[in-house]
Formats: sequence, structure tokens, C-alpha cells
Amino acid sequence: MAADAERRNTDAASGAASGRELSPRSLAVVMNVPTILILALVLAYPIYYAGFLSFHQVGPGQLRSGVFPFVGLLNYERVLTDPLFQKALLNTFTFSAIVVVAEIVLAVAIALLINQQGIWTSRVTRILMLVPYAVPPIANGLVWSFMYSYQFGFLNRILFTLGVITEPINWAGNPDTALFAITVPYVWRTLPFAILLVHAALQGINKELHEAAAVDGANAWRRFWHITLPLLTPIIVVILVLRTSFAFAVFEEILAITQGGPGDATWVAAWYSYRKSFAPPFDIGLGSASAYLLAMLVGILALVYVRMIYRRVE
Amino acid sequence: MLKPSPIAQILLHFANVLVIAFFLLPIVAVTIGSLQSEKMLQADTQAILPAEWTFDNFLVILSGGEQRGKIFEQVTYLPDNVKSFHRAFANSVIVATSVTILTLVFGSLSAYTVARLRFGWTIWLMNLNVMARFVPIIVLMIPLYVTFRNFGMLNSLSGVIVALTGFLLPYAILMLAPYFATIPRELEDAARIDGCTHFSAFWRITLPLSAPGLASCGAIMFIISWHELLIPLILNSRAEFMTLPVVIASLVGDVHVFFNLMMAICLLAMLPSVILVLLLQRFVVQGLQVGGVKG
Repeated sequence: MAADAERRNTDAASGAASGRELSPRSLAVVMNVPTILILALVLAYPIYYAGFLSFHQVGPGQLRSGVFPFVGLLNYERVLTDPLFQKALLNTFTFSAIVVVAEIVLAVAIALLINQQGIWTSRVTRILMLVPYAVPPIANGLVWSFMYSYQFGFLNRILFTLGVITEPINWAGNPDTALFAITVPYVWRTLPFAILLVHAALQGINKELHEAAAVDGANAWRRFWHITLPLLTPIIVVILVLRTSFAFAVFEEILAITQGGPGDATWVAAWYSYRKSFAPPFDIGLGSASAYLLAMLVGILALVYVRMIYRRVE
Repeated sequence: MLKPSPIAQILLHFANVLVIAFFLLPIVAVTIGSLQSEKMLQADTQAILPAEWTFDNFLVILSGGEQRGKIFEQVTYLPDNVKSFHRAFANSVIVATSVTILTLVFGSLSAYTVARLRFGWTIWLMNLNVMARFVPIIVLMIPLYVTFRNFGMLNSLSGVIVALTGFLLPYAILMLAPYFATIPRELEDAARIDGCTHFSAFWRITLPLSAPGLASCGAIMFIISWHELLIPLILNSRAEFMTLPVVIASLVGDVHVFFNLMMAICLLAMLPSVILVLLLQRFVVQGLQVGGVKG
């Protein structure tokens, strides 16, 4: 009772000093005001406005006059019937599929490698593998355009020196290989993130399971296949969804290495929206429609992801 | 603990060497490329190492084109963007630092309400943040360009800072909320018994105890802002507001800029974030793992 009274007193004292204390309900609102304002301004409104623009004709003339004529679904019709957009979409799917499969396989393999105890080089890998994460995507793209250069490229120099080739290889300049050439720098830059997620999941696996299986005579491969891999499945699905949705929006490496070329060999969805909106003919309505289609594709993946989190919490 | 056999150990060392070689190959390429002249790159197109090494590429960039060194003596054309490297570097520092501070402040306030004051709508806000993380930046850029154009906010650093803060805030909240949730609630209750208001319990107890979580989140916010290309590329067209990624992008397709100069700029642009990641590796790893999984 005495403590209660004392608490009421100090509450009153601090209340007097700092004004009336807010209820948790109001405090939650006040603390979220800046976030809600910023998200409304920079996320919610633009997403709504992109939808608005995609139903209107918006070009340089309209931007100057400030009047955007309503055109209904015309922009969507033009995008969906544009062979270049279809090509860009197909390229985006091909690119994402290669990138995500390669990343998952490599991430599991490298995470197992850096998880090895008593191998000192694994500790070195654990530190150095973070370097790609720190490289700006656009710089990564330019570095690889030097690696891939037909005449002066670093990769060809290595292969010449090793005696593997006698003629230079045109890695990114050949329409048949250009899209594959872009996947390598992209995987290089984003692999550390995937490795870290798998590594975190690996550390959560009970070591006794492995030891028991080893005692029962299971070799390393069977232990991986029957114990580790099933336990890694949830994180692999997370990586699958996260990485696919980000790979759908690949941009910097395309800009730096091929600019969509040669021809239309490496046009991807984000590049299509960017070029249509911010290069002649500056067709922002068309660009918005194509960007919205990309957002819808990614949105489906995002819903899947949120669903998965719910399941994990339950 | 299962100890690998001697042969397995050798194979594992070998695998590590391969992985390290893959991760460092581009870094080796950018370093060798930046330390030689255009002439050397063209003289022998098959050699890995140049016959002559030079620091002139860095000299010409860091002096803003004032000191040409030997290899640029004859060169009459140097892109303006190369000359304004200092400006771009300063802009990048201003943008990345401001965005880091803003996302940490706003993100902490929100993440705390999500972690501790669990109402129906704060949980909804968290789900919206998860969804927001997926929005491709190009989708935002087109309407932001039109909006900023209407309000005369194009060509300013503050426009870029606002846009980038909005884009990164959901990610910051996703990283911070799980961290706040791990701080024992009893510590706050004790402070409240001693007369703290709810907010000052957060401010004086939970926030300082979350310093490692804030460091993780801050490091990642700084790195992503340092890397961001599309937002400043589309919102700013004038040289004085360009950030480093925009300057790098502007050299793409400039036939007068050769690989050696490009590699030198790339190396200078990646150095700060590489050093940051290696210095704060523990925090970066933790932040990426928490933000990636528990979101």
C-alpha cells in the first residue's frame, strides 16, 4: 500500500514536471506520425499516382501544360501488345530464374562451407564474402563491363594467360550470351545476403541430430539430404520469394553493362519502364503502365511472403 | 563434433580458396585496371598485369582535373563529372548520413510501437512495411518525378533525402522492431515505477540498450543510401546535385572515358562502403539476418 501510494506520488511528480502522460494508445499514434506522413508522401501516394498516370496520356507536352487527357486502358493495351515489352518480360523471367536458382544452390553450398569448424580458411571466407555487398550496384556493373570487354577485358586476359583461348570472347556483346553474362555480376553482388540467411538457419540446427545420424552410420551426403536440407527448406523458400521479387527489378547492371543491348537481348521490365519514361519519347503514361504491371507481379510475391510469415509465427 | 578427415580438410580449404577467388576477382580487376594508363591497356590486350603502373588516374580525379599527371597531359577533353568528383562525394556523404539519421529516428519511434504497444493497427502497419519492402523503386520514381516536378522539388539534395528516407523506412522498421522486442520489458516497468513516463522509459532505457541493433540498422541504411542510383538519377539532372552513383552512371557510354579512369572512380566510390562493411561486419551480418528473416 505504501509502495502504491509512493508510486502515485512519483507519477504525479513526473506528471507535473513533464505534462500529462499520454495513454499507450495516443503514444502509439504520436510516435508513428513521422513514419505515416513520410510513407504516405513517398510510398502510398506515388503508388496511387502511378496508377492514375497509367490511365492518362502523359508526355512532355502534357507535363508542360499540366493537363493529362484520360485514355482509359490504352496504355496497358499498348504495353501488352508491344513485342519489346513481351521480350523484356520474358528476359526478366529468364534472368530471375537463373539468378535465383544459382543463388540458392551457391548459398547453401557456401553457407555449409563457412559453417565448418576447425577450417581456418572458412573464417576468412566468412569475412571476405561481405565485400560484394558493399560494392555499389552501378560500380559493380562498370567493373564487370571491364571484365567482359571484348578487346580489353579482364576475363579474356586471364583466359589468354592460362592459354585457354586464342581468340577473345565477346561475353556481353553477343545477343545469345548477353543475358547470361548479366546474371553473373548480379549473383556476385547479391549472393552474400542469401548466404547469411542460410548460415543463420544452419546455426539453429541442433548438432546432436547430426552426431546421432553419424553414429548410426549415415555418411555426410545422407546427413545433408535427410537432416540439413529439410530443416533449411523454410529459409530457402524465403530466399526464393525475396530474391525473385528483387531480381524482377534488376536495373543497374543492365544500365552499366549492356544498356539493353545488343539489340533487345537484355531489355528487362525495369529498363523498359525507365527508357519509355525518361528517354525519348518520354511517354510517362506508357512507362507507368509497364511499371504497374511489374509492381503487380512483385505484389503477388509479396503477398505470398506475408502469408509465409504468418504461418511461421503461428 | 564431427572432425573432417585430412583429405576432406584439404578439399574444404580448396573450396574456400575458390569461393574467395570468385568474390575477390572483380576487386582485383578494378584495382589493376585503375593503376594503369589507357596506353598500357591497349598496348597488350592479353596480359593481366601492365608493364607500367601509375597513380595518375587517381591524381586527376582527386585533384578535380587540375593535376593531369603524365597520362592525361595530352588529353584535352575530360568529362565535367570527373572534375566534380569532390562535389559528388560530398553530396553522397550528405545524402547517406541524413538518410541514416532520419530512418533511425523515425524507424525507432515506429518500431517501438510495433514491438511494445501492440494494437491491431500497429500490427497492420508492420504488415504494410513488409509489403512496402517489395515495391520496385522504378514504380515509385515515375510518379515521384511528376510530383516533384510540379512542386519544383527536382534538383535538390533534400528531395533525394526525403524520397530515399521514405523508401528505406519500412526496411529500418523491420530490422529494429525484432530488436526492441528482445529488450526485457521488466527494465521499462522498473523505470516506470521510478517515475518515468512511457516515452522516457523508451528513450532512456530501451533505446540505449538497443545500441547494437541501431548500429546494425544504421550501417545497412548508410550502405543502401550510398549505393542508390535511380532516385538521384531521376530527381536530379544538374551536376551540382549529383551523387557518386549518378556520376558513375553518366560515364557509361561516354566514348572519351576509358576503362582505367572508370575503374579508378569505381574504386574510390566503393572504398567507403567496403571499409564500413569490413569494420562493422558483425553488425552488418546481424542486421541483414534479422531484417531478412524476421520481417
